[in-house]
Amino acid sequence: MTAGLVVCRNRTYPSPTTTRVGGGGGGGGGSVRFGRVQLQWSGGGWPSLRLSNFRPRAAVEEGFVRENAGSFYDLLGVPAIGSPSAIKKAYKQLARKYHPDVSPPERVAEYTRRFIEVHEAYETLSDPGRRAIYDRDLTRSLPLAFSARRCRFDEEPEERSGWRNHWQDQLTELKRRSMNGSSKDKLSWGAQMRRRRAESSREEVA
Amino acid sequence: MPLWVPVRSQVAPAACLSPSPEAPRALSLFSSSSVFPLPNSQCLVWRTDLLVISSFRMAEQPYMVASDSETTGDDKSQSAFHDLAIGIEVGTSKCSIAVWNGAQVELLRNTRKQKAMRSYVMFKDDTSTGEVPSGGASNKTAYEEKEILSGSAIFNMKRLIGRADTDPIVHASKNLPFVVQTLDIGVKPFIAALVNNVWRSTTPEEVLAIFLVELKTMAEVQLKRPIRNVVLTIPVSFNRFQQIRVERACTMAGLHVLRLMPEPTAVALLYAQQQQQQQQSLHGSMGSGCEKVALIFNMGAGYCDVATTATAGGVSQIKAMQGCTLGGEDILKNVLYHLLPNFDSLYSNRDMNKIRSMGLLRIAAQDAIHRLSTQSSVQINVDLGDGTKMQRVLHQSEFEEVNRNVFEICEKLIKLCLADSKLAAEDINDVILVGGCSRIPKIRSLVLGLCKKEKEYEGMDALEAAVTGAALEGAVASGITDPSGSLDMLTIQATPLSLGIRVHGGGFVPIIQRNTAIPARKSMIFTTTQDGQTEALIVVYEGEGKMVEENHLMGYFKVTAIPLAPKGTAEISVCMDIDAANTLRVFAGAMMLGTDRANSPFFEVRMPTLDDAHGWCAQALVKTHGSALDLTTIPKELQPQKVQ
Repeated sequence: MTAGLVVCRNRTYPSPTTTRVGGGGGGGGGSVRFGRVQLQWSGGGWPSLRLSNFRPRAAVEEGFVRENAGSFYDLLGVPAIGSPSAIKKAYKQLARKYHPDVSPPERVAEYTRRFIEVHEAYETLSDPGRRAIYDRDLTRSLPLAFSARRCRFDEEPEERSGWRNHWQDQLTELKRRSMNGSSKDKLSWGAQMRRRRAESSREEVA
Repeated sequence: MPLWVPVRSQVAPAACLSPSPEAPRALSLFSSSSVFPLPNSQCLVWRTDLLVISSFRMAEQPYMVASDSETTGDDKSQSAFHDLAIGIEVGTSKCSIAVWNGAQVELLRNTRKQKAMRSYVMFKDDTSTGEVPSGGASNKTAYEEKEILSGSAIFNMKRLIGRADTDPIVHASKNLPFVVQTLDIGVKPFIAALVNNVWRSTTPEEVLAIFLVELKTMAEVQLKRPIRNVVLTIPVSFNRFQQIRVERACTMAGLHVLRLMPEPTAVALLYAQQQQQQQQSLHGSMGSGCEKVALIFNMGAGYCDVATTATAGGVSQIKAMQGCTLGGEDILKNVLYHLLPNFDSLYSNRDMNKIRSMGLLRIAAQDAIHRLSTQSSVQINVDLGDGTKMQRVLHQSEFEEVNRNVFEICEKLIKLCLADSKLAAEDINDVILVGGCSRIPKIRSLVLGLCKKEKEYEGMDALEAAVTGAALEGAVASGITDPSGSLDMLTIQATPLSLGIRVHGGGFVPIIQRNTAIPARKSMIFTTTQDGQTEALIVVYEGEGKMVEENHLMGYFKVTAIPLAPKGTAEISVCMDIDAANTLRVFAGAMMLGTDRANSPFFEVRMPTLDDAHGWCAQALVKTHGSALDLTTIPKELQPQKVQ
């Protein structure tokens, strides 16, 4: 399903996006009526919920292949050194492909999801500040899966994306460093929470 | 079964009278499916000045919605345009229809050759007749306008639709010739038209539906095919209740709303097309990267909208939108109160003579305002009929002083919109002024001044831009392609209002921020506020206020099966999804402690679930449940981690 997507292999990203069309991919057409998208949602787990922002974390563990593990650059099909105008151009081209107004009726559901992802990538990369943070995290080779990104309340909307990635990835790294044993899993939920709090405050001090 | 009775046929299109292929199709339009009862229509006869035919009597007959099943098996040549959506702009004052004719957008005209038709529905004894007549303040139509203002016609539906009786706009509408009653309890206002000296009640949706049926009939006759899909333009400030009311009116009229398009975004699409064509002729190739930023200012009779759009390669992206209920109607009201300070008390008892003289004054004031667009002063001479005459001169400076508050709000909207889109005046390439009020000199100079421009963008008809854009969107979204590339474009819409939920203490937490590109999907994790809390209320609001009571309640539902845990530790995921047709769905459910698994099936709720903007539902919820089912946000440092 990477047709039309130019996947750029990135130094820090040996494995490019391998998007698997889920069960709902072809059959999504059945629910499309006059362009009104009915994203399949219910029924036995989370079949076609491959939407980053929305897919509950459950999906990851239920044996679904994690898609779009590639970077935003992969998604837009531009090199990591791409100029702002190249990013904008790539985004507009992809928007013309995936926007529900212009996508083939039988694939509206799938393309809508992709449009949201492409738009999210563009939102981050078109903002110089956010892009800088994102680039720094990329070179640290942190996997920036879409599924990791979600809104946080107490941040300014314009900063959200950048900070969200930044902060979350720092935590991830911390977690990884301390993940030598499985001791953490034995802690109670609340204790884990407190520990996270401590970690993050330590991080802020540093 | 309703009868299909051709009554008049001056210009009889053959298709409708002879047994051509169109005839059975037209009939089948009224043959099936859902039935919507319409109160007050013991007998509806459509008397039209349109090209003809279709007066169908509906004795106690409800509206019917056509099934779309008969579209299969048609000849291919026609089928391309068979489902083509038409663009309709139902303005507060005027209305127009446009359609893609295969090469360009064409505006339909009524039998009087008018492209802009006055929006009103006239109620007459036992028949209600929505006409599609003319507007304008010329002498020729003055008589008709007088009739419209006699109390027998309902107009300004667009200002009334989807509003509760506590709304200031509804209160402001009480000075109209027909009856608008309010009881200030947050329910639908009572409106009524004068029929045989009796005030007969109706609703704004019903009036709009009657009007839309008339438009639909007119379009069907001219295009010689049944019309089902429409792209309708709406003001930016329409909340979801207003949108749903408009959709419902369309359904009553047998129309399917393919898109509801904020007016400036329709203009943006037209702008994108014009830019695309310009660049093609300049460079001979498509999509050269040059991006142009435009500010669109649209002010009609009822609403004022501002939007900024960035256009390149045929893709127009809406950067920000602002809108409010402000328009020619407010300007007119200010002038009326200026001319006649005791306007309210004079007309409170609504006897026939007073209504008549109020109508005459309205016409005179409207005419004066129109003429002030080109003159520095106007002479108002009006005989109010009850022995009083008004003779005076209204100067432009006077007019501007009276309407200072209107201009101030316009200014505020533009500034807000620029700030939201993070643009300075220097970043704007073009200023597009559309809508009837954009002809007022003060408004022109104000908008151009704020954008630091000498002159406005040329090449768009101020009154036709929105409907033309809607017709373009209709063609694009219907999947029509054009070999010359005239339809090779796209507008990426944005949400004009934030959407979010209520948290503990009555705060509003937006999940989808305003000006987010549509389609959109955003999620957020919340937590419990009580120890051992197993259920939580998701109360969904739309608006910009920090507290929920400043916003519109969309609906609510309960998330159950939250695992037992101390307060602040359970995780409830709330996700909001807006699809291309602007439908809002909320998905929510509880997570198993410390994992990524859903604890039980999630809930999917299409919003709004409420029938009206019943603010008191929220109060009832608080009264019954207190804060036992409240949610709260998770502080930044306690947000769950990403799972690897």
